Amino acid sequence: MAENKTEFQCNGVVGGNFEAVRKKGIEFDPPLYKQRYFFVKDLVNQHKTKKVADLGCGDNTLLWILKIHSCAELLVGVDINDSVLHYSRNKLSPSWGDQLSPRDLDLTVTLYIGSAVERDSRLRGFDLITCIELIEHLNSEDLARFPEVVFGYFSPSMIVISTPNSEFNPLFPSGNALRDLDHKFEWNRMQFQTWALDVANRYNYSVEFTGVGEPPAGAENVGYCTQIGIFRKNEAKATELCISEQDDEHVYELFYTELYPSLQQEKVRKFVVLNEVYRQVYLMRRRFIKILDPLAASIFNSADCDPAKVEERRLLGPPMFTDARLAEIRLLGPPFTEAEKTEFILLGPAFTEAEKTKIVNSPKPFCVGNEFCVPLERLLAYPKVNRICDSIDTLKMYIADTVTLSSDGSAMKVDIPDHDDY
Amino acid sequence: MSGRARARARGIARGPSPAEVGRTQASPQPTSVDLSDSEASSSSGFVGTSRISQTYEDSISSGDAGSAFMERGGKIRRDFMDLAVCTREKLAHVRDCKTGSSGIPVKLATNLFGLDLPQDWQLYQYHVTYIPDLESRRLRIALLYRHRELSNKAKAFDGVILFLSQKLEKKVTELSSETRRGETVKMTITLTRELPASSPVCIQVFNIIFKKILKKLSMYQIGRNFYKPSEPVEIPQHRLSLWPGFAVSVSHFESSLLFSADVSYKVLRHETVLEFMAGLCRRTGVSCFTQTCERQLIGLIVLTRYNNKTYRIDDIDWSVKPTHTFQRRDGTEVTYVDYYKQQYDIALSDLNQPVLVSLLKSKRNDNAEARLAHLIPELCFLTGLTDEATSDFQLMKAVAEETRLSPLGRQQRLARLADDIQRNKDARFELETWGLRFGCQMSLTGRVVPSEKILMQDHVCQPLSAADWFKDLRTCKILSTQPLNKWLVICSNRAGDATENFLNCLRRVGSSMGFNVDYPKIIKVQENPAAFLTSIQKHVGPDVQLVMCILPSNQKSYYESIKKYLSSDCPVASQCVLARTLNKQGILMSVATKIAMQMTCKLGGELWAVEIPLKSLMVVGIDVCKDAFNTGMVAVGFVASMNPRITRWFSRCILQRTTAGVADCLKVFMTGALNRWYKYNHGLPARIIVYRDGAGDGQLKTLIEYEVPQLLSSVTEANSDASSKLSVVVVRKKCMLRFFMEVNRTLQNPPLGTVVDSEATRFEWYDFYLISQVACRGTVNPTYYNVIYDDNALKPDHMQRLTFKLCHLYYNWPGLISIPAPCQYAHKLTFLVAQSIHKEPSLELANSLFYL
Repeated sequence: MAENKTEFQCNGVVGGNFEAVRKKGIEFDPPLYKQRYFFVKDLVNQHKTKKVADLGCGDNTLLWILKIHSCAELLVGVDINDSVLHYSRNKLSPSWGDQLSPRDLDLTVTLYIGSAVERDSRLRGFDLITCIELIEHLNSEDLARFPEVVFGYFSPSMIVISTPNSEFNPLFPSGNALRDLDHKFEWNRMQFQTWALDVANRYNYSVEFTGVGEPPAGAENVGYCTQIGIFRKNEAKATELCISEQDDEHVYELFYTELYPSLQQEKVRKFVVLNEVYRQVYLMRRRFIKILDPLAASIFNSADCDPAKVEERRLLGPPMFTDARLAEIRLLGPPFTEAEKTEFILLGPAFTEAEKTKIVNSPKPFCVGNEFCVPLERLLAYPKVNRICDSIDTLKMYIADTVTLSSDGSAMKVDIPDHDDY
Repeated sequence: MSGRARARARGIARGPSPAEVGRTQASPQPTSVDLSDSEASSSSGFVGTSRISQTYEDSISSGDAGSAFMERGGKIRRDFMDLAVCTREKLAHVRDCKTGSSGIPVKLATNLFGLDLPQDWQLYQYHVTYIPDLESRRLRIALLYRHRELSNKAKAFDGVILFLSQKLEKKVTELSSETRRGETVKMTITLTRELPASSPVCIQVFNIIFKKILKKLSMYQIGRNFYKPSEPVEIPQHRLSLWPGFAVSVSHFESSLLFSADVSYKVLRHETVLEFMAGLCRRTGVSCFTQTCERQLIGLIVLTRYNNKTYRIDDIDWSVKPTHTFQRRDGTEVTYVDYYKQQYDIALSDLNQPVLVSLLKSKRNDNAEARLAHLIPELCFLTGLTDEATSDFQLMKAVAEETRLSPLGRQQRLARLADDIQRNKDARFELETWGLRFGCQMSLTGRVVPSEKILMQDHVCQPLSAADWFKDLRTCKILSTQPLNKWLVICSNRAGDATENFLNCLRRVGSSMGFNVDYPKIIKVQENPAAFLTSIQKHVGPDVQLVMCILPSNQKSYYESIKKYLSSDCPVASQCVLARTLNKQGILMSVATKIAMQMTCKLGGELWAVEIPLKSLMVVGIDVCKDAFNTGMVAVGFVASMNPRITRWFSRCILQRTTAGVADCLKVFMTGALNRWYKYNHGLPARIIVYRDGAGDGQLKTLIEYEVPQLLSSVTEANSDASSKLSVVVVRKKCMLRFFMEVNRTLQNPPLGTVVDSEATRFEWYDFYLISQVACRGTVNPTYYNVIYDDNALKPDHMQRLTFKLCHLYYNWPGLISIPAPCQYAHKLTFLVAQSIHKEPSLELANSLFYL
């Protein structure tokens, strides 16, 4: 992933390379900022961190990337510049997709206006705090306070700090200048590691160094363009710190907070169950009608796709069922086995063998007058329903006030429309 | 045909290699990484090309000719194209005043809000060049926005064209900025135009500003409208979600700049494309699954759940599976399955699904290769309603119940939006920096024109309600009718008794209407479409006046095969009735009355009339309708009145190949109609008024330049000395405008016959709104009329009243309808042809309303 693309990479003239790269400028592909975010994303994925805070979250891109993870439960962004937050909060709000296909677990996204060198108790007890390209913006006074707040007070299980590696700068056309006007300093690897090791020691963390943005061929000795330190809290002391200080320091200004729809919420669960129930019932009803309607069934079962023949069959149709046979089908339910087999071979999310067996073995739908009834037990056999409802009673609780149940409450009823045109 | 071949046939540029496809897929534009997103959003609404704007480089012009203003994707928004058409200046009789004066004045509230600008407000258009030249639009924007000189100014910039509300000191401003990498870039900002607030370009900039504002109110844009995802209305029975939102637009109305907003709902379905496909497969069977699937899906808008973006389905590639690989931007190969796992933490469950292909709109207006995105059906949700859904009565009822808003409810929503815009700090700031002030909701005065009397054979009735005079009709004789002597009834064996019963009833109500119905020949057949058709073929002879079919179900094949045969192969009037309808004992009388009226019309009878003061007037309705099966085909319907009383009609329809929905055949139709008129009335009509329905946004110019001349040339050729005077009126059923009337401190719909011809109309046009339909629940939709050509020079009052009268003459409904009857007839005719018969109906039927 961290491959950089320069014009000269392939011509292999090692000697001329450095200067050429300097003149041309270096481009990273993917861009360096993305590489940094993907680095954090991979880390989150690997450790399944639930609570993550990003200090200096800026336009919230990192949080946006992290919120897709099913493990995320609380994502917090902190920035002192509220105008950036303003622009990008829309990006973090739950949208259509989040409502239509809700997450399994609750996720809260919160943004605070505040500084990484001020204490706020709401930032304590996190699994991961990231400070991406943050420390180089701190003046010496703030930099001195930073470890005490982040390591000492917030004290998360893991901290990721990234900062420019000044040894890489000569490769840029602007040479040794700072990469951004607001940077107060840019460290070489030695300076960063010394600082990091010292802080880690002081607050009982261990640290590991890596980076993103590989140097071009011929300049490997300068190291990564961005250097990264991953700090892990040494377990022993962790719990003690968390519990001891109970003070509620709320210094940050709450800017935005939003709870994503998830299956942990009753309303959402009900909705998902209803949806799936209606879907399956309609599918079953359609198949039922198909079987009752020999005309449609003949089209359905035919492998012939000559439109003229299909049309002909549409018009002529095979002989009707006798009234007696129809009555029998209505009473006993349609001969399902063949159709049920086709249900599973056709396109659609696959069921496992066990799921299929469970569905086929559950009580069959039936017909009373002009109403199609599906036993709740059968609905419960469908995995999506079963995942949320552990019993008939739960299922009933979710659907009772929306669907029509049979008089004994054991089945769901829908009308059979008098035609099913297609 | 494979998906690929089909795309070629349709002229869609496909990516040259799988790599290209993969690339577009590998970077599905996660909105987040667009770092300049926040800034660029102000400008992303338009993309100008350097080529066009350079035309203006040297001189500052203040005109609007050749506006180079593009919507995202390089297209000019279609309704803006209409704005450049000025028709009123050519119509001398309305140049000074286009308002009428008759009727009772009524005070109306609107969904328009004032937008105030300082008197001398101007928009300054600049052209920006970079040295060295920068390819990246994002970088161009970022560099300019970051510059101190511009940082606190209201601006919109697309990378080439910059709009400012304040003039820069110099005509040419040189700025330099440094990239993050330290390169110095010189930017030259040259003033190209100074635009007055009335300029169409300014209107587009205002629309972009409001787009930005609504985004700040946490609304999402889908299509042209804005929706709030946080407040969905769920309809679980139909697996639908409705998202409330607004359609908004800023434009110049009669005398001022106004912001209009109307409540809109987006329908989202809790059904993924994969589920939809699976359901379809089960219905159609494997044999014609792919064709049906493509017919149903192509053109629909889907929403991808992982990034909340919408795409249009342009094709389905059945050869690609999720387990196939594509090339990412960095050159590595990855399968779709792995990609979605890594990128979005989503596991795909069906590994056999095909992929949907969507043509991405190019953000730059260059000729670069069209980019394609591959979408996984399982991850796409359907939006909007399919035809299948819209024909589901229960579903539509449920949707209507949720979306129907009373005038008061609608007003409350509007007030809340206005309040939000005014209260939101960012929104207010945005408006202020541009010098705009959001004003209050506009009220205006409309007029209620007098109600019409309905003329029957021996009776003039003043209906209690103009909305429905069915009850008033029962006791009256209809204007004229032909006795029905020889006719057939075809029914299934089962429906025999019900049919007998119904026929008795029909004959009874017929005689009280003055419509003599003899006993028909009844043929009983088996219950299948072919049996019906065969017996029709066997029994319909030359002297059969009408065939009635009692259909066992409303399966389309019955109706379609019968109508197709009897409308074009063997032209005879036909009447289809659902057997189910005949079993409704309680309402059998009114069912029979309605059917008797329809049958009368199909035999060339006349039901009622209204008083038409003009003595020699022909009215014409034109509508177009897309063919349901053959894409690229449209049915064009033309219905012209054949007598001064406007009770007899001449109806023609052809199928025509076109993409634009512009009619080609009007000259032939018009000439045909004039010939018939001549035959019946021994002279040509003095006046002809054509109502054109079914024109889309942006077609106004085409209508004026292409359709009007066709009509004109036919009219002048018919009689070169004293040719009939022609007027052409464009009719629009859908418009954003709403009117409310305050009654007893609450809001109601304005009464029938309300005309609005000031303030909410447009200065450049001779236009008016007319309310001719009732909305029992919900808010009434006014119909919008735009007179684009007018030799008749009727007074606006007369034009409006005539239009209102014509809304009374639709024989399928004893009451007022939303559009003039000839338009509704043309609509009904084209609908029948486009939906069911797909063939031109026989000319022999042209003198009767055979399609009712």
